[in-house]
Amino acid sequence: MGTYLLDFDWTVMAPELVIVITAALLTILDLILKEKHSYPVTKFLSIWAVGLAGYFVITGWGDSSYQILADTYRVDPFSLLFKGIFLLGTLFILLFSFAKKRINEYYYLLLTALLGAMMMVSAADLITLYVGLELLSISSYILVGIQKRKKQANEAAWKYMILGGASSAFILYGMSFLYGLSGSTNLYVIQQAVQEGLTSGYGAFVYLSFALIIIGFGFKISTAPFHTWAPDVYQGAQAPITTFLASISKAAGFALMLRVLILAFSPLFTTGDWERLVSPLLLTLAALSMIVGNTVALKQTNAKRLMAYSSIAQAGYLLVPLATMGMLLFPSMAFYLIVYIMMVIAAFVIVEQVTDATGDDDIRAFAGLYQRSPLLSLIMTVLLISLAGLPITAGFVGKVLLISNAIYTQHFVITFIMIATTVISYYYYFGIIRQIYFRSPANQNPIPIRWEQGLILGVSIAMVLGLGLFPGYLIQFLGEVDWGSAFQMATNSGR
Amino acid sequence: MILNGEFIAFFILSVMAIGGAVFMINATRVMHMALSLAFTFFSIAGIYLLLNAMFIAVIQILIYTGAISILMLFGIMLTKHRDEDRPAISTRHLGISFGVVFLFLGGILFVIYQTPLMGEGTAPLTVQELGTSVFKQYVIPFELASVLLLVALVGAIILAKKEEE
Repeated sequence: MGTYLLDFDWTVMAPELVIVITAALLTILDLILKEKHSYPVTKFLSIWAVGLAGYFVITGWGDSSYQILADTYRVDPFSLLFKGIFLLGTLFILLFSFAKKRINEYYYLLLTALLGAMMMVSAADLITLYVGLELLSISSYILVGIQKRKKQANEAAWKYMILGGASSAFILYGMSFLYGLSGSTNLYVIQQAVQEGLTSGYGAFVYLSFALIIIGFGFKISTAPFHTWAPDVYQGAQAPITTFLASISKAAGFALMLRVLILAFSPLFTTGDWERLVSPLLLTLAALSMIVGNTVALKQTNAKRLMAYSSIAQAGYLLVPLATMGMLLFPSMAFYLIVYIMMVIAAFVIVEQVTDATGDDDIRAFAGLYQRSPLLSLIMTVLLISLAGLPITAGFVGKVLLISNAIYTQHFVITFIMIATTVISYYYYFGIIRQIYFRSPANQNPIPIRWEQGLILGVSIAMVLGLGLFPGYLIQFLGEVDWGSAFQMATNSGR
Repeated sequence: MILNGEFIAFFILSVMAIGGAVFMINATRVMHMALSLAFTFFSIAGIYLLLNAMFIAVIQILIYTGAISILMLFGIMLTKHRDEDRPAISTRHLGISFGVVFLFLGGILFVIYQTPLMGEGTAPLTVQELGTSVFKQYVIPFELASVLLLVALVGAIILAKKEEE
């Protein structure tokens, strides 16, 4: 086994390389070309890069896991699946962004944010994971603040940067204790050291680092009580960026959390501390997010803030399998994440178009949508039903999977909270539906929808209904993925 | 407690570092804040030196005490700012913040004092070893960090430049 990068089969990094090269190319082309030419080129290149990276992810699917330079980069089914999710989501967000004229750097920053997210799922080394996280975070701070003249955007960017920076500091501080315990940044070495540390009096160290890391991750995936930044940031940022934060950024946070917690802190399972301490802690966070997110959403009248609180609640649902573990941990989480991303992107597309056409950020903007654009209001209705988790939609199947995993592992209190808060959430989701059908519109003009947005809505609605009616294929596919390989050493065989 | 040269040096340096930080928070002029921060950075470099981390100590002086402080001073001088800046914070807010910070500090001190830390210093890392490690084992995160810096640069430019039209 070599010790230089080129001793390894570096073609496994193809998806990341495509994104890096395109991002670099975009900055250069921006200099060379005139603005008139560079804008369409930028749009085309970013779509092309995401598509090509997606092609490499698909062709790499099914290969055995492979690591480069002591796991500072690794590919396994876990990372490939998440990369696929990020690329599909980013493709839609790029299409969504085309609706308005934006500066070229917008696309460059979106690609680097995507690169950060991709690196966060393809390493088992704290340094790569942290740099990936920061790449995603810093690109997002800039993207939120890109509208300099808008006061709300400035406020959002400041809040996001300060709280995001503080949460990164918490994660880094927690990681430093892990490094101190093991003398290595490799998660497998850390796992060994934690195992030994727990039996030789270093238990307090492990818990301190765990607590710090959980606080940091809590901010990143916006679970209560660390959620306060989310509504302001979601409201202040441009709609595609809000969508990116609510979908890709959150999914990347969850993937990172899965990898770090399960790898570094797995010795806690054998000592029984996971069941005794960690699981109740994570369940408390999940329960708080569901309760706070869903109850505060009841009072919201701003459409984007309402979606922000809804996404806080969804983070709570997604946290449950990680806390309870169990057979369906990965399939249920991956299924819900895929469905959630599709729902949230499509819902934000409609929210943006409707509030834009009406010139009002309030959910009043939806008043009488049925009379203005019947097809659009039907799509929105299906999406809201899916977000609420009612039958024949994919959201229902996802929630059933999450809840059945909680029941299977005999956590009945959290199951009750999940069901109760879901019922509460009907109220505000149906509040929008009531506006759509039972209120009279301000005017009769139909809502304009561009073809890119039509494409996003078409694909999402097909997936939400398709996976709601025939969820078996995806569940079977996710069930057959070799999740365990993400947490075992890569042997680098077969290359 | 053994009163040797190392302990005295550590004591002086840490008092300087903490003193600088306290001055930074309490100063009313922005310029004083920047200078006290530079003072703290400098003292921390001394602590690194005590810990046998020569390379980091030099880098700390070069980057933090030198570059960052100068950058901040330039930033202050080149931008319009109100010289006396005293944000109004309610006492309740202040109390809560201090309470949380003290709890946090107490928790961390408790854990550190409970843990049997072995006092065997490792051999100082040479610059050569550091370089080998960065460019061999950690070359991927290193390259990723350069993308990160580029992003920060692009971001700084688009946020700072005047809008056209």
